[in-house]
Amino acid sequence: MPRILIVDDSPTIRKMVRASLRPLDSFDFVEAANGLAAIEQLALGPVALMILDLNMPDMHGVDVLRFLRSHPSSRGVPVVVLTTRGDDSSREAAMTAGATQYLTKPFVPQALLSAAQDLLRSVSP
Amino acid sequence: MTQTGSPQDDTTFPDFLDDYFAECDEHLTGVRRLLLSLEGSVGRPEINRAVLDELFRHFHSLKGISGMVELRQAEDLAHRLEDFLRVLRQGGAILTAEGIDALFDGTQMLEQVISVRRSGGTFPKVRDVASRIAQLVDTGGGTSAARESAGNVEETAPPSTTPLWICTFSPSADLVARGIRVDTVRGRLTGAGEIVNAVPRVSADGSIAFDFQLSAHLDEATIAAWREDGIDVTRAPEETRPSIPGPADRDEGETTSTGAVSSSQFVRVDLARLDELMRNVGDLVIGRARLADTLSRVESRIPSGEWRAIQENAIVMDRQLRTLREGIMRVRLVPVGEIFRRMPFVVRDLARETGKRVRLELRGQTTEIDKFLIERMMDPILHLVRNAVSHGIETVEERIRAGKRPEGTIVLSAATAGDIVCLDISDDGRGIDPEAVIERARKVGLPIPAGATDSATLLSLLCAPGFSTRDESDRASGRGVGMSVVQSAVEELSGTLSLETEKGTGTRFVLELPVTLAITDALIAKAGPETFAVPQGAVREVIEVAVETLLQVEENEIMTYRGAALPIMRLSRLFGLPETTRSRLHLFVVGTGSSAMGIAVDRIVGQREVVVRAIADPLVRVAGISGATDLGDGHVVLILDPAVLARQMRERPDRMIGGARGALA
Repeated sequence: MPRILIVDDSPTIRKMVRASLRPLDSFDFVEAANGLAAIEQLALGPVALMILDLNMPDMHGVDVLRFLRSHPSSRGVPVVVLTTRGDDSSREAAMTAGATQYLTKPFVPQALLSAAQDLLRSVSP
Repeated sequence: MTQTGSPQDDTTFPDFLDDYFAECDEHLTGVRRLLLSLEGSVGRPEINRAVLDELFRHFHSLKGISGMVELRQAEDLAHRLEDFLRVLRQGGAILTAEGIDALFDGTQMLEQVISVRRSGGTFPKVRDVASRIAQLVDTGGGTSAARESAGNVEETAPPSTTPLWICTFSPSADLVARGIRVDTVRGRLTGAGEIVNAVPRVSADGSIAFDFQLSAHLDEATIAAWREDGIDVTRAPEETRPSIPGPADRDEGETTSTGAVSSSQFVRVDLARLDELMRNVGDLVIGRARLADTLSRVESRIPSGEWRAIQENAIVMDRQLRTLREGIMRVRLVPVGEIFRRMPFVVRDLARETGKRVRLELRGQTTEIDKFLIERMMDPILHLVRNAVSHGIETVEERIRAGKRPEGTIVLSAATAGDIVCLDISDDGRGIDPEAVIERARKVGLPIPAGATDSATLLSLLCAPGFSTRDESDRASGRGVGMSVVQSAVEELSGTLSLETEKGTGTRFVLELPVTLAITDALIAKAGPETFAVPQGAVREVIEVAVETLLQVEENEIMTYRGAALPIMRLSRLFGLPETTRSRLHLFVVGTGSSAMGIAVDRIVGQREVVVRAIADPLVRVAGISGATDLGDGHVVLILDPAVLARQMRERPDRMIGGARGALA
């Protein structure tokens, strides 16, 4: 089954994201609590969609994005950056580094779900 | 358990509130620890950058998750605290006393808001604290005189002689199947030394690998073991040493604490699941007892060789069962430090409020205690510590006049002895004045026991509902009513509370609690036709006495025991059971000092591991009976709570009988 990767250092947020995306039942959900663990998931197999937090210990989400975009096998993975409301500079940094979508927390489950559905639809043949 | 003003659950994610509270606890615990360590940097030119980063991240996370559960006050507070830390981090500024106070107060307010969301009640007014912090952010107050070398906030790596290694880990499905992931690798490296840097990279063959720069002393065996698990270790070339990567154009939240302990070694388990497991084991224990009962009944009908074989198996099972239940019990244990960690906060705030100087010493923080007990003991300990600061420790002037050091000391310690956890709160303050206590008790109309006022009498007066030695204002702050709450909380957990105090020298409260509640060793005794269980931890001594040595004094029976009069309570009389005709009785001596008493039973019939089932029916629940158990022969027996029985007997012997009889019916 294709996989959706949820990256956030907060277990509560990961659970909430998972619950919001529950209707996408043809996907496997995998989670990572930090940037390195997220990249490890990319090494272990293809990812159809990634939900990525920015503010994480030891490797910032923007750095995860940069790495992702520099790697041939993950260059095309759609990434929804889901970060706590902050200043505009983080949005710019994320978009420059290759985010496909930028949403802020607190998020509305339906908004996240439809963003995810749109992105999955646009990449699938 | 409090359910005042029930919190509204109309958030988008109502099902995640428990997760939210659990995560908040973790962040707040981290914040408290970091703030205390930050306090040492007030006025100093160097603030530990890693501490600021970690604090920042805690507040940032608290902001994020509070927003998700629509707890706006918490979101707002966390946001402002985060802002303030950003100012601190960017300017390379010096933290002032005003600044640290704002951080402490903001955190405390944040904690209160979350706690009200959890347990109900009225939300505190956050506006004052919030605007105070906002003001600090705007004016750059709370910080002072930026250092000459602002910008260079990054700590320079200390020149070190520890060898530097490059540990390369290439993740694979095989390794994951063996439980080896980048998080576990990081945890392992952190255990061996300090991770200087960690970066992902793409290898020549297009696969992904992680390079960890590790500063550590490694031996051949370790390197070999790591290779086995996919971690390739090489010595780093010398020029790589100062290679902390230049920070890229990242935004706010970037942190550099690569050395953080991996949390992947731990699982968070819902307490309810552990309760369920414990219940299952409880059922097993009862099943085992039934088997033993059946075995003893059929012994005569089975050839002795075969019976012995069965019996041996049963004994082995017994032992394994005990190991299993101890294992599960251990899983539930958490370090008592969880309670203690809050206390420096409380002491600090109260001392500031009252203008006293107080030093808090914590001992035995790693002592482990059941998670359930931790939650229940938080408030009682809080009360006792607050009391120690506001009633125990004198003002600086008073102390100097009394020839004491100006700074008072409160010692909070924990220790385990067998199945009992002992929590000890002592101070070197003014002590409790027995005359003042009696005076006060008389004023509020409490019955005053005749004779000398020993510490047990003093304690029972202090714990009487409605007793308060201080004025109304203090009671309003929730302090004056504390002791009765403390006592009932301790008794609810089958524990005991005791007091030692000396005027002018200090006060010491000792709380003794069972490490865990679910299964306990008990003595099984008969009184008339009924069987009772008495938890072994509560029994100081078992003695056998001849009935004629008991003296009748008015309504009560007493006997001489170690040179003092020991009041006797016959279980058969308490429960209205037929009196024994035996000439000798067994006595459980429980309690100490003037609260000691003897519980007389007809005879002791054994010693067993019993599963404590709480009595849920409020009509049957009686003080002095902590639960019921099934001994395996199909009979339900009551488990006595000797500490409560002893107290009740001292206070109002007449009232006990009706309730106790009701419980048996």
